[in-house]
Amino acid sequence: MAIFITTPRKRHVCDEFTEPQRLVTPGATITADSDFMRGHGTYMEEDELIASVAGVVEKVNKLISVRPLKTRYNGEVGDVIVGRIQEVGQKRWKVDVNSRLNAILMLSAVNLPGGELRKRSAEDELKMRQYLTEGDLISAEVQSVFSDGALSLHTRSLKYGKLGQGIMVRVSPSLIKRRKTHFHNLTCGASVILGNNGYVWITRTPTEEEEAPDGGFVQNLQPVSDEDRRVLARLRNCILGLADHRMMLYDTSVIYTYAASEDYPVADLLNPDIMKDVILKVRQQLNQEAT
Amino acid sequence: MLTSRSFVKKTRKGGVMKVVREHYLRDDIWCGSAACTKCPIDKPVLEKEPVPEVENTLCSYPHYLLLDTNVVLHQVDILEDKAIKNVILLQTVQKEVKHRSLPSYKRIRDLIANETKRFYVFTNEHHRDTYIEIEPKESPNDFNDRAIRKSLAWYDEHFKDTPIKIVLLTNDIDNREKARNEGRVAYTVNEYVKAMEGRPELMDRLAQIETKERERKANDSDITAPGGRNVLYPEHLSSYEINAGIKQGRYKKGTFKASRENFREGYVSVQGMEKMVFIKGLANQNRAVQGDIVAVEMFAESQWTAPSTVIAEDKGSKEDVLDEDTDNSHIGPKKGAVPTCRIVGIIQRNWRPFCGVIMPAAVKGGTKHLFMAAERLIPKIRIETQQYETLAGNRIIVSIDSWPRDSRYPLGHFVRNLGAIGDKDTENEVLLLEHDVPHLPFSEAVLSFLPKLPWTITKEDETVREDLRHVDICSVDPPGCTDIDDALHYKPLENGNAEVGVHIADVSHFIKPGNALDTEACSRGTTVYLVDRRIDMVPDLLSSNLCSLRGGVERFAFSTLWEMTPEAEIVNVRFTKSIIKSRAAYTYEQAQNKIDDKSQNDALAIGLRGLLKMAKILKQKRTDNGALTLASSEIRFSMDSETHDPIEVERKVMRETNSMVEEFMLLANVSVAQRIRQEFPQSACLRRHPVPPLSNFEPIIKVALTRGFELQVDSGKALADSLDKANIPSIPFFNQLLRMMTTRCMTQALYFSSGMLPEDEYLHFGLASPIYTHFTSPIRRYSDVIVHRMLAVAISADACFPELLDKAKIQEICDNLNYRHRMAQYAGRASVDLHTQVGMYSSLPV
Amino acid sequence: MAGLELLSDEGFRLDGRRPSELRKIRLRLGVFDQADGSAYIEQGNTKALATVYGPHEVLGGKGKPLHDKVIINCQYSMATFSTNERKNRPQGDRKSTEMSLHLQRTFEATIQTHLYPRSQIDIFVQILQADGGNYCACVNAATLAIINAGIPMKDYVCACSSGYVNNTPLTDVSYLEESQGGPVVTVAMLPKSEQIALFKMDNRLHVDHLEQVLEVASKGCKDMYAVMNAAVKEHVSRMAKSMECS
Repeated sequence: MAIFITTPRKRHVCDEFTEPQRLVTPGATITADSDFMRGHGTYMEEDELIASVAGVVEKVNKLISVRPLKTRYNGEVGDVIVGRIQEVGQKRWKVDVNSRLNAILMLSAVNLPGGELRKRSAEDELKMRQYLTEGDLISAEVQSVFSDGALSLHTRSLKYGKLGQGIMVRVSPSLIKRRKTHFHNLTCGASVILGNNGYVWITRTPTEEEEAPDGGFVQNLQPVSDEDRRVLARLRNCILGLADHRMMLYDTSVIYTYAASEDYPVADLLNPDIMKDVILKVRQQLNQEAT
Repeated sequence: MLTSRSFVKKTRKGGVMKVVREHYLRDDIWCGSAACTKCPIDKPVLEKEPVPEVENTLCSYPHYLLLDTNVVLHQVDILEDKAIKNVILLQTVQKEVKHRSLPSYKRIRDLIANETKRFYVFTNEHHRDTYIEIEPKESPNDFNDRAIRKSLAWYDEHFKDTPIKIVLLTNDIDNREKARNEGRVAYTVNEYVKAMEGRPELMDRLAQIETKERERKANDSDITAPGGRNVLYPEHLSSYEINAGIKQGRYKKGTFKASRENFREGYVSVQGMEKMVFIKGLANQNRAVQGDIVAVEMFAESQWTAPSTVIAEDKGSKEDVLDEDTDNSHIGPKKGAVPTCRIVGIIQRNWRPFCGVIMPAAVKGGTKHLFMAAERLIPKIRIETQQYETLAGNRIIVSIDSWPRDSRYPLGHFVRNLGAIGDKDTENEVLLLEHDVPHLPFSEAVLSFLPKLPWTITKEDETVREDLRHVDICSVDPPGCTDIDDALHYKPLENGNAEVGVHIADVSHFIKPGNALDTEACSRGTTVYLVDRRIDMVPDLLSSNLCSLRGGVERFAFSTLWEMTPEAEIVNVRFTKSIIKSRAAYTYEQAQNKIDDKSQNDALAIGLRGLLKMAKILKQKRTDNGALTLASSEIRFSMDSETHDPIEVERKVMRETNSMVEEFMLLANVSVAQRIRQEFPQSACLRRHPVPPLSNFEPIIKVALTRGFELQVDSGKALADSLDKANIPSIPFFNQLLRMMTTRCMTQALYFSSGMLPEDEYLHFGLASPIYTHFTSPIRRYSDVIVHRMLAVAISADACFPELLDKAKIQEICDNLNYRHRMAQYAGRASVDLHTQVGMYSSLPV
Repeated sequence: MAGLELLSDEGFRLDGRRPSELRKIRLRLGVFDQADGSAYIEQGNTKALATVYGPHEVLGGKGKPLHDKVIINCQYSMATFSTNERKNRPQGDRKSTEMSLHLQRTFEATIQTHLYPRSQIDIFVQILQADGGNYCACVNAATLAIINAGIPMKDYVCACSSGYVNNTPLTDVSYLEESQGGPVVTVAMLPKSEQIALFKMDNRLHVDHLEQVLEVASKGCKDMYAVMNAAVKEHVSRMAKSMECS
């Protein structure tokens, strides 16, 4: 059996790009002008605006904020989330969404099985565990943000709900590009949900008849074929590779990467050198597109 | 640049531990020369044009010297000569010297500190270009030599554009050859010194070694005898074998003490054994010198022998034969046989420069002579010198270099000429040198810290000190005393009690810690009293003038004031810095007369009488507690004022006033000891007198028994009482003689730092006091200065200095003070001996 | 080995440094992908690894969430192979608990805790090789890890130790120099405002020398800050570049 051993590798630097906007580190003064309003990542001390995280300075009119490179997910209304149920509580579920506080999914915010529209009764409360229990994966949308920063989710659409068989990949939230839609059905036969919180869900594209209008509470537990598994695995490796090289994740980049990776067997994609080649190709492709 | 050095160590439990250390290599270590244009040095040490002071035929070009370790270890005397300048000393060499011989290391550090000598230390182990790593299977010696050659190569390369050359000086033929093979200039010290013009006496200073690299062992500098001379002594074991043997119990470690009576015999005092072990025969002594730390192998009981009853002195044989004593060597148990052993190896040599004379030469015009040291217990030393004519009849200093197996005597070299024998100054010089008493005049640096004259008491001084100028204080001291450090007063109070005060000269006000004056005083440790001279610890201005509590002048003092009942019980005690004005400085006789003279009734007379009464009560109390009163045969010389020759010898007479002063000094010392111990539990400088072991008393018990008296020695009190009882009415001197012998049995009193010992060992046996220190003579004892400083902190009169809190530092100072005190005592006694002899000699009928 | 000369007369220490020089520093941000923030630092032969998780929900029955600020949970541990002789208890012994507490207090002073009420931040530091200056390496590594995690801080926290030998203060003492029994002063400070977050001293030092030693330690912290800041800037720039380019 062959074993791969890699020596520590030098960090990859793409030199061909110019230095972006101003970078600051904590404690560095951004400006001494007291005219500006302070946003996230800054604080005021003695009329000076000082950065509190390491990142890129963003200036919007009079608002100065510093966006850190890597941070926990900060929810916005309308974001698509993939999360895992942590707790079942009174009339609500607590969902882990890679944020600093667990998100809350109210009982009143989900679609009841069967698509009924009625007031939630005490019975429903007791049956909560039957709908969603600890450890379940769901996709949802952010309805609102509480004052302490916790998110309130809802699954009031048929595309949201409990997730069935598939692969979940965790990447940094800052790598997910904000798009109009986060549900992508790829040509290779897989569907991808790029949650804004950095959790990515890869699954087999459901065929027409499997689309059930039952609010997504039922999981499709039919066995997944080997070929499908390979597709899913390849997609997972691609997404991980993109995340490794700090490339933004969106449908185009994922599709290109998938295409470029078809030259190699699935397992080899975990090899950092091969992934580097693949990503390089993807970068070039994307650059060509951009120009 | 960073490398790491790792090596493997063995732990105590027998496990193996790997130690990894960082080792930084720098490129900012400069060559140290003014002639160098490449290195940006701001303070170059080596001269730009190193023209040697003395023309050297071998190296007639300007050159710097680079020294090998053996040169530094053995030839320091040559290096100290002013002809040797501009020397490069490598860090490797310095480390090795420090490891092998601490005295040589100290001397070389002094040379480095001396700016005119131009010695530069090159940190080669951290220099990027001269760093080398040890190769596997390379011996440490080879490694060091390679490091030296690498640095030599670097220096050569560095200076290749200048006319300056680098010369390697070594005593090792192998090293010289290797260096020459690499194309460097290398000479042995012999060759170099021989080539110096006009300095033949330097040749004398050459040490007698030229070893081959292979046979160089750390502690046995043997030469394989050229020309097949006989090997006289057995070989010394290597340090590894000695250590192994000691661990296994085959050998024991001890200090060698030569016998005073018979030069062929000696003793070794082993730790843990009460009695000393006996050594008979020169071969068994195996080249050990008085004071060396040796490893001995005990003989089986059947081979034990007894000290011979013949007194024998070494006449000094010219031949290299061991003239053993053949008559007394029977084999088999002898009467009075004691444990006997033989020396198998030397652990540490105790060689230092010795004073003495050259013995008369048997052969005229030869260069090899025998030197006899003033210290009788040192064997004769063979030296080579061309200046026999000048040196005969003079006192000279000689150092031992080595003692090869085939030489009857150790080999040494001449260091310095002191002057003619019999000349008083020379003899004094010898005495002081032999007792390691620093006696050079005070340097400019030290004198610069003295206060400027005229000295007055300022308003500021008056605010911080208590004004006791109105108190009737007087001092009582021996006649002719100029350094008065103590004064007393006694004042009756209204409540029936009395205020008693002891005022000590405030020396610590003038000597601030850390400056040159303080360092010099600390090093000297004590004032040394010779018969005709006094070697002061502090310069004269302080000791006889500004600090001395002379009569009629205002002086600073450190006062201890007690309120005492008529029964001499202390009600309270307080300490304060003060200004006093002593009314009069009496001698013991004058004070005694004043007390006895009923017509005198002034404040001082009343005071003195009161003090005397108190003193008697105090003394009685102490005796009840078990204090010992011993006697010693102290004599005084009255000197002829012109020639300073002794005229007459007189015994010291003890009067009541002596005892009075003594009692109050003791009381003050005890009170102060208690106070500073309270304030500085870890680092208080105290004085103790350990209880002597019972075996010490055996001689006097025997003597007393012959006269029918039984001496009890289980406690101080028992001893004091039985001594009092041992009186023969017909022979009044007997009791005094017994007391004098008891003095001999005592252990030495020692200074120590309070944190180093448990409280029950603070005891002062002789004074029967649980705690004691020296406070009352700061002018002539450095320990008192430290105690003054501590007391000043205790009463918040002075800020605390960091060194006062460091118990290890205080213990170090105490060890030095103990040593100096002991040496001062020996020097004093030797001076008395000397003058007695001179006196007797001069009083002999011509 | 008693009597080791910590400072030679030529002004060099045992390892060849001058008294005011720091040891060689190597550091890396973002060592682990799984953790929110991680960093690795080597100061001479002392190697420390720090990981930061959070802010996240308060886990475990241990703590109740604070309504107005974040709970900072620190854990200090030494690997069993980090010292000369195998250390049998990596954590939970008194020294580790004390160090954890010190770290917690140090970071409570600089992390802007009011931004994350009811949450918890975990900081785990492990010493992989201990060669003196353990606490300093921990603080420096943890600072970098927190920056890597994007948690807002008032300023860097840099720590440096200093000793005192032969009337000369030494910067950044190694284990050999520490074990000789001389005084060791450890200072953690915020370099911009020169505020001290933690001040620790071992053994005895006379108050007269305190100012000198403190000054030297502060300078060491500032030098440390310069190195750390440069590394963070470089890391941020590289990351930003690769993110921007797609």
